[in-house]
Parts: sequence; C-alpha cells; structure tokens
Amino acid sequence: MTLAMDKSSITFLNRPPASNLQPLSINPSPHHAWKRIAKWKVSYTNACIDCGLCVLACPYGVHRRLEGTLKMAQPQNAECIGVPCEKIHPDNFCVKQCPFDAITVTPNPEFDMLGDARYSADLMASLWHMAETGLPPPEHLYERRVGNSGGGFDQLRFRFKKTPHEQPSANDLLEINIGIDLNKRPTGPKIRIPVPWYGGGMSYGSVSLNVMKARAMAAMAWDTFTSTGEGGYPQELTPWKDHVITQVATGMFGVREETIGWARIVEIKYAQGAKPGLGGHLLSDKNTPDVSRMREAVAFTSLFSPFPFHSVYSVEDHKKHVDWLSAVGRSVRSLSDRFKHTAPDILVSAKVSTPGDVDMVAVGCYYGGVNIVHLDGGYGGTGAAPNIAKKNIAMPIEYAIPKVHRFLKEEGIRDEITLIASGGIRNAWDMAKAIALGADGCVIGTSDIIALNCTRCGNCDKGRGCQHGIASTDEVFAQQIDPEWGAQRIQNLYNAFSLDLRLICWRLGLKNIQELRGRYDLMYHMGNQGSD
Amino acid sequence: MKLRNNDDSSPFPNLAISQSRNLSLINSRSRIEPAPPPLRKAESEGGCGVLGAISRFPIAGRHILAATENMKNRGNGKGGGICASWFADPAFFGTDQFVVDNDYLLAVALLNPKAISEIEEKAIKPFFDIHAQGALKHISNFRDIQGLTVEPPEIHYYFVRAKTLALTQFIEENKLEHISPNAIEDEFVYQRTYLFNKTYYHSLGDKQAFILSHAKNLIVIKLVGYAEDCIRYYQLENFQAHIWIGHQRYPTKGRVWHPGGAHPFIGMHEALVHNGDFANYVRVSKYLRQRKIYPLFLTDTEVSALLFDLWRRTYGYSLEMTIESLAPTTERDFFKLPDDKQKLYRQIQLASLKGSPDGPWFFIIARNDPDAHQGELIGITDTSMLRPQIFALSLAQGAPAIGAIASEKQAIDIFLENWRREDSSIGRYADLYWNARGASYSDGGAFIFRINKDRGAVTLHCENKFGQAVTIGPLKDFESPSNGEAPSYSSRPVSALTDLNDLAFLTSQIKKEPPSALGDWLPAMTSLINQRRDVQGFRRSRIIEMALDTLETLLDKISPETHCAPFVRLTFSRQDQLKPPPASEFSLIIDAQGFPIEGPRSLSSIIVRAYGLGWKKFLLYRTMGHRFIGCGLGPGSQDVEINVYGSPGDYLASGLDGGAIHVHNNAQDQVAQIMNSGTLVIYGDTGQTFMYGAKGGKVFVMGNTAGRPLINAVGKPRVVINGTALDYLAESFMAGDPLNGGGFVILNGITIGLDGKMHDLESPYPGGNLFSLASGGAIYARDPQRLLEEDQLNGGQFTDFTLKDWVLLESLLQENERLFGIKIKDLLSHQGAMLTPERVYRKIAPAKTRALALGYD
Repeated sequence: MTLAMDKSSITFLNRPPASNLQPLSINPSPHHAWKRIAKWKVSYTNACIDCGLCVLACPYGVHRRLEGTLKMAQPQNAECIGVPCEKIHPDNFCVKQCPFDAITVTPNPEFDMLGDARYSADLMASLWHMAETGLPPPEHLYERRVGNSGGGFDQLRFRFKKTPHEQPSANDLLEINIGIDLNKRPTGPKIRIPVPWYGGGMSYGSVSLNVMKARAMAAMAWDTFTSTGEGGYPQELTPWKDHVITQVATGMFGVREETIGWARIVEIKYAQGAKPGLGGHLLSDKNTPDVSRMREAVAFTSLFSPFPFHSVYSVEDHKKHVDWLSAVGRSVRSLSDRFKHTAPDILVSAKVSTPGDVDMVAVGCYYGGVNIVHLDGGYGGTGAAPNIAKKNIAMPIEYAIPKVHRFLKEEGIRDEITLIASGGIRNAWDMAKAIALGADGCVIGTSDIIALNCTRCGNCDKGRGCQHGIASTDEVFAQQIDPEWGAQRIQNLYNAFSLDLRLICWRLGLKNIQELRGRYDLMYHMGNQGSD
Repeated sequence: MKLRNNDDSSPFPNLAISQSRNLSLINSRSRIEPAPPPLRKAESEGGCGVLGAISRFPIAGRHILAATENMKNRGNGKGGGICASWFADPAFFGTDQFVVDNDYLLAVALLNPKAISEIEEKAIKPFFDIHAQGALKHISNFRDIQGLTVEPPEIHYYFVRAKTLALTQFIEENKLEHISPNAIEDEFVYQRTYLFNKTYYHSLGDKQAFILSHAKNLIVIKLVGYAEDCIRYYQLENFQAHIWIGHQRYPTKGRVWHPGGAHPFIGMHEALVHNGDFANYVRVSKYLRQRKIYPLFLTDTEVSALLFDLWRRTYGYSLEMTIESLAPTTERDFFKLPDDKQKLYRQIQLASLKGSPDGPWFFIIARNDPDAHQGELIGITDTSMLRPQIFALSLAQGAPAIGAIASEKQAIDIFLENWRREDSSIGRYADLYWNARGASYSDGGAFIFRINKDRGAVTLHCENKFGQAVTIGPLKDFESPSNGEAPSYSSRPVSALTDLNDLAFLTSQIKKEPPSALGDWLPAMTSLINQRRDVQGFRRSRIIEMALDTLETLLDKISPETHCAPFVRLTFSRQDQLKPPPASEFSLIIDAQGFPIEGPRSLSSIIVRAYGLGWKKFLLYRTMGHRFIGCGLGPGSQDVEINVYGSPGDYLASGLDGGAIHVHNNAQDQVAQIMNSGTLVIYGDTGQTFMYGAKGGKVFVMGNTAGRPLINAVGKPRVVINGTALDYLAESFMAGDPLNGGGFVILNGITIGLDGKMHDLESPYPGGNLFSLASGGAIYARDPQRLLEEDQLNGGQFTDFTLKDWVLLESLLQENERLFGIKIKDLLSHQGAMLTPERVYRKIAPAKTRALALGYD
C-alpha cells in the first residue's frame, strides 16, 4: 500500500489534542548528524546530461535538481525502492527511463551490515523512517512487517479480508478505534489510553535522563504512559507525572512514598523476560555519581537487584504487596490537594516473565488485586542483559499470551484484567499479532530507543555505555540526545504505528482493535519453511 | 542407601532391622496399581496461613476458630482445613478412650452422600472390624456460613481395626512375618486408603469420596472455604483436643473445587500443613514413585506428607534424620556441626537429597505416636527461611503448658487471649516467642512440642531438632489481689516499684481511676511493658499483660463522644465522625478492634485520614495483625508520633519518611521497607525482611530480627539491633560511607535475662552470610570474644575500628540506652572488666570484590 496522504490528513487522524496538552504535531525529524542508511545506491555515470527525465519519472523524489540550477543533485538514496521498481512502476523506473543509460541502481552493501535476525536491516530502517517522517515507509521500500528470525511473530501472518489493492480512505481509518482500557475491574479509576501500547521500564542508569524525558514527553503527547524502570524516579520527570508509571522493582532503588504517590499506575516488576531469574543489574562504569545519587548507592560499583522480592515469595505475599502499594498510593494522593475531590486510587500492574506455569502466575496476580498483568517474553532486553539469559530461559511470548488468555477465560476473569504483552514487540504488526493471540495491548521499549537512532550494537553495558548517548549515563555522551528532538521522533514513530494498526484492523474488517483480541482465526502460521 | 552394618562407627546402629523392614514394606506396595505420573501440579499455591497449637490442657475448637479467622487474608476461601488430635472427649464420637487410643479413625469425606452404602460394603467392611461409627454433625444449611459457596462434604467416621483374616492374607502375600504387628497393620491401613482414594477420588468420572485421615486419635477435616468454616460447619466450637492445626489455603487455579486439595494431608499417624511452593514437585513425585508411592491429589503438600511418612515410618528414620532429609543442613552451618553429626547428615543427604523439597516452605505437622503414647506438634522451616514462621511457648500453673506455631504472631496472641477469657490461668501472651533458623547448627530449623501422658497427667515439653530442650522458668503467676491489706499507692512511677508482689494490687487500683489519670499512668504502664527488669520470679508475660490490661481499661474509659484532654478516642464504629484535633497537643487514641486489617477502611487508612485533618500524635491499642501502620503519610511527616500497643501486623512503617513510631511489643514481617527517614523503635523482636530497600532513618530494635534484614538498603539508615539476626543481614548493603553520612548497623548480640541483666548471646551472629556482596556502609558488631569468623563474610572484611567510628556509635548507643536501658557501660564490659570500644566492637566494611567492580563477564 502506498499511503497517499498528505501531512494534514495525518495530523487529522490523531487524537484531538486535549486542552491541557500541547497540540500534537508530526514533524519531520531527521538526525542532526547523519542520514538514514539507504538500502539502494543510485549513481549517475558521466553519460548524464542533466536532462531531468528521471526527476519527472521517479515517484519517490529520489532524483532532484540542485535548487536554482539545472544540475542534478546527489540522489536521495534512502527514498529509493531499488530494483523492484522496474516491476512495480514499469513506466517510471529511472534506469529504463534514462535515454543515456546513465543511471545505475545497486544494493548498498552498508545496509546489509545493519541489524540482526530479529531486527532485520529492513525493519530497523523502517523504524527510522517512521521516526523521521511519522509515516509508514512506502510499501516497496522496506519489509517493515516482519524480521528474519524464522520464528516468533515472524512466522505469523494475517488472513486479511481485503486485498492489497483496496485502499482505505482517511475516514475509514479514522473510524477505527484502537484505544484500550487499563483498568477493567468495576472498581478503581478508569484509565483509557488511545493507543494499545505504552512504554516499558528503562531505568535511570540504563538510559540517560534525556532519553527518559523524551519518552515521557512522547507518552504525554499520545496520552499514554512510560515507565521509570527501577533506578528511581528523577524529579525532572514530574512535569509528565500523569504519564509516567512508577516501577517498584526488586532493588527498590529510589522508591519512596512520594514516588508511588506521583503515579497513576504503579508497576511491580517481579521478573524480566530477557533475564528471568536475575534481578536488574547496572555495571559499575555506568553507575556514575548522578546515577548513584538517585539510587543512594555507592558510585562506580555494580548494582545488582535481587531476583525475587525478598518480601514476596508467594501469592498471599503478593496480595499483601499490592495492598501495600495501593494503600500508600491512595494515602499519599489523598493527602495532596490535587486529589481532594477525586478518587485517589492508583492502578497496579504486575510485570512477570513467562515460565511454564505463567498461566497460574497470571491468575495469582489477578487474585492478588492487580489491574494489569504484564507478560514479558524472552525476546526483549537491551545489550546489558546477559546473552546466556536472553532468549534461553523465558517462554516465547507468542506461546505465553494464548496460554494465559485461554486460562483467564476458563477462569471467567478475562474481562476483569488487562493483559499486556512485551518482550520483543517491535512494531504495529507485532502488536496486532500479540493482540490477536489474546493480549489487550503491548509494552514497547526497544522501538522507542531505535527511534532515537539506536543501532542495536549491543554495547549498552560496556564502559560508559552507548556511544549515541542513549543507553549511557555519561554526561558528554548523553548530550547527543536532545529531549525535544527525541520526543518528536518517538511521537512520529507512534503516529506511524497507529496508522499501521488502523490499517491492519481495516484490512481485517474490524472497527475496534478490541475485536481483534484472541482472534487466532485471523492468523496463520507459516510452518518451518515459511515464506509468503 | 548402602551401609555397612558391621561397621561399629556406622551412624545407623539399628539399620539392619530397619533396612529389611523398609524394603519389605515398600515391596508390599508392588501389587498396588500405580496412578499415572503427574506432569505438573494441579494448581499453584504459594501462600497460606498456618497455625498449630498444642497443650497439656484440652483446647476447644473455638479458640482455634478465632485464631484462624484472623489470618483469613492469608487464604482465599478456596480451601481450609483443620486437624485435631488427642481427643479429650471420646463421647463426642460415641465411643470410649480405649477405642480412641487403639483404633484407626477412618474419616471419609463424601462428595456424593449416596455412595455411602456402596463404599461401606466394598471398601470398609470387607477389611475392617468397625468398633464405632457415625457421621459428623453439621449445620443444616451451609449457606448460613457467609462465604461458603461449595457444600462441604458429609464426613463419616469409623473406628476400625484390620480384620484378622485380611491382615493374615496381607502378611502372607507380602512375606512380612518379621515385622512388628503394629507396623504391618499401619501399612495395611495405609494401602487400603490409597486404594480407596484411587477408586473413589482419583478415577475418571465423578469424584465420590476420599479418606481425610486414617490415623489413631487424629482427625482431619477440610472443605472449600476457610479453616474456621470447618469448625463452624461441623460445630466443633466446643470439641476439645490437645493438638490442633489449622490451614488457610491460597490456591490459584480452577473454578471447580474439591476439598481434596485443601490441607492438611496425611501420612500415617500425622497430618501436615504447608505454606509455600516447591520448585521440584515433579522430581519429588518421581522420587516417591520409585518407592512405590503415588500421589493422587497433585499438590506440594501431599508429597510433603508422603515424604515425611516414607522417611519416618517406612525407613524408620529418627525425627532428627527425617527433618534433615526435608531441610538439609548446608554451607557453614554444616561445618559447624560436630563431626559425628556431619558424618550422619552427609549420609542422609546422599540418600535423600533428590527427594528434598526445594523452594520456600514451612511445615506444621500434628502427629500421634500411638506406640510411644506421645503427641507431637512439629514446625519445620526450609533452609533459607523464606516463609513466615513464629514459635511460642507458654507456661500455665508453673509448668510449660502451651506450644504454638503460626505464620503471624497475632494468630497466637488471639488464640491465647480467646482462651484466657475463659480461663484466667492462661496468659494473654506467651512467655517465649522465637523464630527457627533454617537447617542451622544452632537450632536445626525445627522445633518439636511433645505431650506425654504420664499416669493420667499430660506434660508438655519443647525441644529443637537436636533434642535440646527449650526451657523457661519456673516462673510464677500473680495472685489475684485480696481486698484486705492494702499497700499504699500513689502516682509514683511504677519503675520505682521495687516489689512486684504489689503489682496486682496496684493495677487493680489504677483500673478504678478516672480517665483523667491516664496522663500519669500511661508512661508508667508503658515502661512496665517495655522494660526488661528483674522479674522477681514472676512471668514477664504476666507483667506485660497486667500493664496492658490496665492501660486498656483506662483508655476504654475515655468516651468517644467527648474528649478527655489531651486525648480523643476513636473506635471503628465512630470513625466517620473523626474531626480535626481541638488543639495541637491532643493525641488521637484509636481502638483498633473492629478495623479491617487492610483496605480503604483499615487502621492504616484512618491514620492517614486523621493526619490529613491535622492529627500528629497517635496511640493505637488492641492492634491484632493490622497491616501498613504508618504507611502512606508521605514525606515531611516529621512531627508525627505513633505509639503502637498490641500485636501490629506486617509492613509497619514501610515507607516511613519523617515520623516516629514506637512499637511496644514485637513487630512482624516486612517492617520499615524502603523507610526513608524518621525514627522507629521496637521494644521487642521483629520479623523477616526488616528494612528491605531502606534508605534512611534511625531504628532501634531491642531484641532480634529474623532472616534477611536490611537487604539492598542504601543511603543512610542507622540501625541498632541489640539481639542478633537469623541470617543474610545486610546483603547487598549499599549505604555509602558511614563516616561520611552513610548508613550502618550496630549488632550488639546481647539479650536481657529475667534477672534484668545483660547477657552475651552464644554468638553475636550465628548465620553464614553477613554483609554479603555489600558495596557500602558498615556493620559494627559487638564481639569482645572475637567469635565472628572470616568465612561468615562474603564480600565484607574486618577493618580497623577507629575513634571516629566510636564517636558515630556512641551517640546512637546513648539513645539506645535511653530507650531500652541498655547501658553503654555494660556493653563495653566483658567478664567484669571494662574494655575500650575497639576491643569490643568490630567493624565490617565492604571488601573490593571483582564481582562488584566488573559485574558479569
């Protein structure tokens, strides 16, 4: 599909901005220093006479004249859809259109260096494209739906009701509701987010404050949430506190009564899918004086959180823990003037990994009183999670979701709990698949930081951390991320996600994303040898 | 297990007999058709509330009811059960003592009452002579009990002995002639029960019935509901037995519920309840299958009971060896054992480690030993002490009378208080409360209360895994005051009361005072409760009881409608009439009775509401397990002061940020988690995971802390623990540099005896893990005898104790002296000589470890 919509229609598609928020805008937001790595390399030979036929031919604007002159400018490689263009646009393929055979289009070898099997080069580039433009990339430019892992979500496909040739109107997409409720119980505050995802926990320490700010701003712009992670709740985030989830993890770093009171949602992190059986850990070099001040620990020592909560070894301990957090949240908020006239209750989410009996864990969480059960599968995690743990311990998320969904249904409590999936949810297509498998919504983390130009080099834990200043707490490195710019990039990404999700729903003939939940019949598995 | 019987040094002297015995018994099970192997547990459960009580006096069911009801929030109403043993009244069952003592009591739970005649004809009468039988009475409509949604089973009971013919055939078939007749009959009954349950419960199709218990002089009752529902439904309020256990279950699966999954589970002559969860359920099941034991109910607890029976009865292990099999002694604790014990334990571990339950668990076992005429109540904790547990021993009429084990202390207190209302010889509090140190060299992680019938009189005594007795006393009760000769009393401070004989009279007089006298008597009574003075031969629990009773009487006199300056009293029923304080010096007195333990209308919420209205001073009394006291006040609560009387619950002061809380009793588990600032004083012991993740505050504990205190604490907490900790003290401690504003723990390792004098504990810290992987802060351990060893530290190191350190300690110890009367002078003396601080205190600081400098490779 080519999204033949102009910018005004895109902005129009978004949630109307609430009065207390800044108006939401989608602005092109390229990186200040480097260009998106192009998939194809376009070059002109000496035979070129600057005739400009290619400028007229190319539907993607690859060829341009230098402004104010007749000379050809450098081709916009990143926009080129490459050799397949010959079949897709037989009448517009520049190589064929050039009367002098002066244009060559070849794969860019640099592009193949990107990514890995799960985040293929195409997928990474498509995320960067979305973060830069706020739109899904042209259909033929990248394979943006799946990676090359040969398993997981990459082997699942939708059974669309509409053919690829049918195109939705802006109105068709606008009619589709992709919001979800985070509290499905009859009691407690109703919190609805207009998109079926929110941001996962990345601690101050694992990422820089600028990154946290960027994520919080984007969360506010989209009226959804981001999470503090376990490294404490920096005061600097409080302007966005209605959109920041306070995480209470096993290390309890920086968790104080007021940080519980700031949040509308408190997330108990029992385990992390990338490293079940291990607590969080921040290696010594990243524990800079600023980070250690937040955590009140000793600078430049490694900080290991215990794996379990030492106070929670069973389901009735869990209930007690939830009762405590609810009581503290309610109490602290009821003492503040802000909540004098409203219910000060908070929602509680339990983040668990996916062991074999994850279904019983989820049911136990529910009876303990949580509103959200957050399943974290094994595909997630930054480079800091030990490789031996990643992908080797937790059950793959695509198995865990239906297992839990079905079990909760049998138990008769499915509609009282919000089931959130995370751990390797890369884009809107993964989200739609997770929802079709039985989740209500998703939590994303890695996509957010790819929007900030993460290249998945996996050096998050080494030395001072990320050279791009994302997963780094080094003062100098961190300056590379301007929070405003980062927020814009993440907002753009979210916009593209929301368009893609609406498109998926439309093609499946659904009006509401909640109708998609548990619709295994709308998907098929490609088998081991799968190809489209 | 391969053992040489001719080796004189063999740790198993009687093994020749027991080995052939256990093989024969196991082989006799070959004819049993195995049940299909379980692939996983039928449901997950971790949490539970457990209670066990034993006494040389008969205990009425209503007392157990009151105690289990208080722990309702540890279950979810999906399974409750009780066990009673050593019945005081055989007439309840329509029989006599001889039958009760000698017959097996088959208790059959009928899920389908119509099946009874078939069951009797096919499964009972052909094998057993029935000497007495009947059905337990119950209330007519189960819906009259609030919350019961599943009809409890009809329970039929039969007092039986094996038919001679059936038994002879059993002996011949299995060649058991060389085994004692009692053991054979036990095995016969055991196998009949298995076959019964397999036919009528485990088989496909409708579940018809199952056998609840088959022991002598012991019955198990369970249903889908809460433990107290068993007592209510079967009208056992007045039923009396010497041993009871109760269990609240919190399973998390399935909509269809059968009472079969509820605890207790049975072995032969014992019933076991369990709080926890195994990680190796399947492996333990396999271990049992290899010994021809096939679990039918698919829960952790069932296999625990089966394991206990296998080791204790079939293998003939001693109780100590059985406990060692369940909770193996490891690491430093193992090497601290005497050599012969090490040898024995090594063999046991080699043989049984594959069957040892792995994971957090705590067992309470009620057991009748018909051959030895003994009744036992056993509490065993897992090696790492991951589940809550508390033991208590109480005197009555001068001798040990009551033993109790529970998940939460207040359950024991309620049990005792409920009983005291009927019988003034029972004390309101036990004389001794303690925690077991899991699989340790010091107490073995298990305690056994045992009752013996000796010429009509029943005696109770308590010992640990190693058979070392737990003793108190002899101590006396106060005599009730006669109205005659009246020693004069005035409002002189009670601390000046030299002769405690006057106390009973004095308090009886104070109780008659008007509430306006509270201002005088409140500090006096409080100091009686808190101070560890010379008891002059009296039970300290009775001194506390008397002071608390007096205090409560006076407090109750303050009318909730009017106030009595400077006090305002609030009760549960009037909580909505709470108004702002008339003046700032007023204290709000809250009678905790009636307030829910947690939730929006709980005690902790009313404190927050009152604080919002401007109240700063609080006095709470009659607390009974109320949770989250002092939580939710938020930062800046510096001027808040809360005094807590009674038995407060878990999570007290968790999150405290500024205020001061004084607990005039023991505190429970998870106290002062993430505490940020303020003061906490505990005039007693405290429970597990004390100050987990704490960030600051000044904390004084008069007694001990249980397992895992101060884990992951950061910032600047300053803590004085006058007793010791069970294990894992200050693991991953990260509290900066104590000499530069960081945090530290002073561990005094002392106890105050009944003579009011200070005594050193055997070791300031018995555990094998002290300050493990710590990266900041310090521990100052009072260790004049240099008993602490390097191998207890894993990441810490002994460093020089300097004058600067002492300056830091002295100010805190001065406050400690003011609060508890523990004098610095006494702390610094050893064997009569006054030492310099550096000879007494040792400083443990973080060592530079590779793990913390680099992290994972």
